[in-house]
Amino acid sequence: MTTNEIKAAAPACDTCPFHHTANLMKLGVDMEDWDYVIALAGNPNTGKSTVFNALTGLHQHTGNWPGKTVTRAEGGFDYGEKRYKLVDLPGTYSLLSTTLDEEIARDFILFGQPDVTVVVVDATRLERNLNLVLQVLEITDRAVVCLNLMDEAQRHGFKVDDRRLARDLGVPVVPTVARYDKGMDKLLQAICDVATHRTICNPHRIQHLAPDLKQNVSQIAAQIKAVFPDLPNARWVALRLLDGDERIAEAIRQGELGDLTSGAPPDQSNLIHPIRLETV
Amino acid sequence: MFKEAQITANDILSSAKAARLQIRCNVHESLVEAIYTDAARIADRAVNRPGDEPRFDLDRTIDRLVTSRTWGFPIMLLLFTLVFWITISGANVPSGWLFSLFIDVIYPSLKNAAEALALPWWLSGFLIDGVYLSTAWVISVMLPPMAIFFPLFTLLEDFGYLPRVAFNLDNFFKKSGAHGKQSLSMMMGFGCNAAGVVATRIIDSPRERLIAIITNNFSLCNGRWPTQILIATIFIGALVPAHVAGLISALSVVGVAIFGVLLTFAVSWALSRTWLKGEASTFSLELPPYRPPRILQTIYTSIIDRTIIVLWRAVIFAMPAGAFIWLISNINISGISIAAHMIDFLNPFGLLLGLNGVILLAYVVAIPANEIVIPSILMLTVMVAGLTNISPGAGVIFELDSQADTLAVLNVGGWTLLTAINTMLFSLIHNPCSTTIYTIYKETGSRKWTIISTLLPLGMGIAVTFLVAQVWRLVEAIL
Amino acid sequence: MPAPLIALLVTALLIILAFLLFRPERGIIPRYRNTRYLSSRVYSEDALKHIYHCQLSGDRPSIESIAGALHITTDEAAGLLSQMENRGLLQLQENAICLTSTGREMALHIIRAHRLWERHLADETGYSELEWHDRAERHEHALSPEEVDALSAHLGHPSYDPHGDPIPTVDGELISLDAAPLTSADLHTPLHIVHIEDEPQSLYAQLVAEGLHPGMQVRLIERSPERILFWANGDEHVLAPIVAANISVSPLPEEYRTKPIYKGRLADLKPGESGEVQSISPACRGLERRRLMDLGVLPGTVIKSEINSPSGDPTAYRIRGAVIALREEQSNHIHITRFNQETA
Ligand SMILES: Nc1nc2c(ncn2[C@@H]2O[C@H](COP(=O)(O)OP(=O)(O)OP(=O)(O)O)[C@@H](O)[C@H]2O)c(=O)[nH]1
Ligand SMILES: [Mg+2]
Repeated sequence: MTTNEIKAAAPACDTCPFHHTANLMKLGVDMEDWDYVIALAGNPNTGKSTVFNALTGLHQHTGNWPGKTVTRAEGGFDYGEKRYKLVDLPGTYSLLSTTLDEEIARDFILFGQPDVTVVVVDATRLERNLNLVLQVLEITDRAVVCLNLMDEAQRHGFKVDDRRLARDLGVPVVPTVARYDKGMDKLLQAICDVATHRTICNPHRIQHLAPDLKQNVSQIAAQIKAVFPDLPNARWVALRLLDGDERIAEAIRQGELGDLTSGAPPDQSNLIHPIRLETV
Repeated sequence: MFKEAQITANDILSSAKAARLQIRCNVHESLVEAIYTDAARIADRAVNRPGDEPRFDLDRTIDRLVTSRTWGFPIMLLLFTLVFWITISGANVPSGWLFSLFIDVIYPSLKNAAEALALPWWLSGFLIDGVYLSTAWVISVMLPPMAIFFPLFTLLEDFGYLPRVAFNLDNFFKKSGAHGKQSLSMMMGFGCNAAGVVATRIIDSPRERLIAIITNNFSLCNGRWPTQILIATIFIGALVPAHVAGLISALSVVGVAIFGVLLTFAVSWALSRTWLKGEASTFSLELPPYRPPRILQTIYTSIIDRTIIVLWRAVIFAMPAGAFIWLISNINISGISIAAHMIDFLNPFGLLLGLNGVILLAYVVAIPANEIVIPSILMLTVMVAGLTNISPGAGVIFELDSQADTLAVLNVGGWTLLTAINTMLFSLIHNPCSTTIYTIYKETGSRKWTIISTLLPLGMGIAVTFLVAQVWRLVEAIL
Repeated sequence: MPAPLIALLVTALLIILAFLLFRPERGIIPRYRNTRYLSSRVYSEDALKHIYHCQLSGDRPSIESIAGALHITTDEAAGLLSQMENRGLLQLQENAICLTSTGREMALHIIRAHRLWERHLADETGYSELEWHDRAERHEHALSPEEVDALSAHLGHPSYDPHGDPIPTVDGELISLDAAPLTSADLHTPLHIVHIEDEPQSLYAQLVAEGLHPGMQVRLIERSPERILFWANGDEHVLAPIVAANISVSPLPEEYRTKPIYKGRLADLKPGESGEVQSISPACRGLERRRLMDLGVLPGTVIKSEINSPSGDPTAYRIRGAVIALREEQSNHIHITRFNQETA
């Protein structure tokens, strides 16, 4: 970190500006006309809000229990002459069930069209966290994995090979310790590279589907591709349709999925769900 | 099946529908299994685990202690009593300082300035005696306890203790037909009920989420802590020798809070057998690893963030309330002020509940924010009793240097131990503040449930205070 | 008498009065509402349903059978039928009662509403299985076609109700079940339960008590006039033939056979012990089931019991690296094979 700061102070580096947290301008909630939107997803209690605070300088509540954040929070930062809007999402174990917090996260990743989705994962529970990562990689091909809580992994004697992980997942993987601000410069760099298409991801797609499911999925995905040629996640949409996900069916009916690829702003108005319940 | 050119969105949906009837395996299950298979493989390649599990696992050792059969509940009680005791005894002194700053130093100079500017009496009364004094009161009463309570609570939260409380209490919630995570939203409610209501989003089942929302009001929020603390200190602390007074006051506040928790169980139980009928659904709660909290950072952020925000809200509501009280005390109809009319009207009902008209009117005034109950009570009491030697004029939320003064005022207002106890109870059990009501409406999207969550605690509060008052008087009459 | 005592007595009286009036289901006001609710519309809708079911099963609906099904007299039934004929819901031709296309549509709507509501009750509420049918029986009349569509969408357009009955689609299609009663199935072949009849309730209660659900793998072991013995998901069950006849089964395709042998349930593990998940019981449905799977409880997962709550119930398990507390009802649904000693 100190070396970074020294370099940042040198005038020569104005031409190669993207490498230092020293270039980070925390913008707090001031985020008029941003250039890129970044979503922060991840399992509960993996440090998303801590990363969010480190990058924006805000004080989103953090707490050592799963479910601390239940609404999405937004903040901004300025890095390498570009303005970024950062969105902190509720932590979820999965994007497949339809509970309120999962829907908030899922809808934002799918319909909010973030330029980059950062998945914050707990390095000590990699397997369970990869469950979510793989789901996110089915939805979007612009993602960065933030391998957080590296200090705890070290304390428990885990060695996590982030390069190997990056190769297997096909997206950048950055080890961090968000609580003590470590690795944030590399994370910013990775975000910036993916946002500006300097890094092209080649995300891992789920392999071991049941045979008859696989066949139906590819058939429907082909149809989806025919109607929405620019959609990056036709296979995932097909899977959701087969699972009876009404929100996705609705998006197809309304042509919302088409809007996504044309870059029209998504409609977030139907994010609020009244509680439905049988009353006696 | 389809020719490329003709495929439309509807074709996709109908072929999906056809495929759904045809696929025999459960889509969701085989998908999840496929994902976990891939995840396990990738994780396996990337992680190099230590060969043996360490023999000593600190987390499990702590867990075994704080969730143990014998020590689990005592430790819980001890920790919370400790937090309140530190809050109560630590807040006294700085509260006193703030009082004297606002009242002895700033207030006279404001008055002088007003005189120097030759402001009309009603304007200076409205601004200084109404708006300024109520704000000053709220700040000096609320700032110190909050600045102590929030960091302490946040430390517990950061350490990872809260999920263990949920773990310990879950069985009670289950027996009352509620969700185990309700204890987490309940604890958020101890800070602020509106936040607690939003926190119920972690509960998946709509039925249990509604139960959690309706009962959240039984968690004493920080707008009500000062009321509890003040009354416990001057009435209950006074019953015992001075050196244990602080501890006993803290215990009685904890007692009221525990009563609130018991009410939460009772009301959840009743709701899940009547309006919100059903069995408790499932519950899965991750117990995160313990993490040593970063003390300085926690104190800094919880003061900057929570304390200031909550205080700001209190001030915003206290200012108009102060002005309102000043107005109704100074506008006369047929020779008596509006406030006096209202108090006379409410008094018989208040007495039936072991309270009085002043207290009820104060609760009406305090619907926007519970924080201003005590200042309103004091001000209205003085006005009714006509204690001109203390008050600078009618309708002024005034300074009381010591608790003895407060006690004197309340005694003149006809307060007894019963009034004090019932005021504490009523403060625990009455309608939520307007912010919370609005939040409930936003979260449930239903007018019906908003009305029920508002009126149910109010009705219960009336019932409980009525019962306590009548039984108390019966016992008194017999003795 | 002292004043406080009078006040208390007066209040007690008021409370008793309110209780008598408003007590849920049995209070005077709820009862009054209930009787008003059973209006002629409800009768005609129930009659439509009855006629439709008769037609499906090949029986001939008659005035007597309708009177029996609706618990009314034959005179009332005759009046009801002529009323319905006037409204164009059915045709009476020489003793035969036929549904018109409007009548058929309406009958399907009611069946759809009923089955979707049962699905909703099963997946999203905590009502016990025995209550589903009666609640749906009442609620089916209160749902408009639009509401039923919304409900179906909300539930993810399920194809079957919790008893295994197919749910009619919006366009009125109803797939037929390819199933036979358990009593007439072949011995020793792998089968799975596709349907469990929920009427009459006394028989259904026995099936519920045995913990049987659609989706379970079964194998018929012994059949005699006195009893039917079979295995279901590894447990042995014995039922009277009249009860077992209410279970419908169909052969299980090869690729879905799993080894049904398990040695215990997760709930049986004591702190420190561990086991490997075999399956999640079909009794665990809907969101509950999805949640468990999302948490990583899948066949093959190794789970270790860690700590008990002081009040005994939730137990914390180590599941794929995280410590997660589950209530006993859930851990009872998870079938495992236990490991002999503590795993290192
Ligand atoms: N030791 C360590 N602790 C961390 C690190 N990052 C976050 N934490 C702690 O982990 C806990 C959870 O952090 P949060 O940022 O609230 O987690 P979150 O992902 O936002 O959680 P939800 O909002 O519940 O989904 C807090 O107590 C943090 O202080 C890290 O890198 N190392
Ligand atoms: Mg968070």
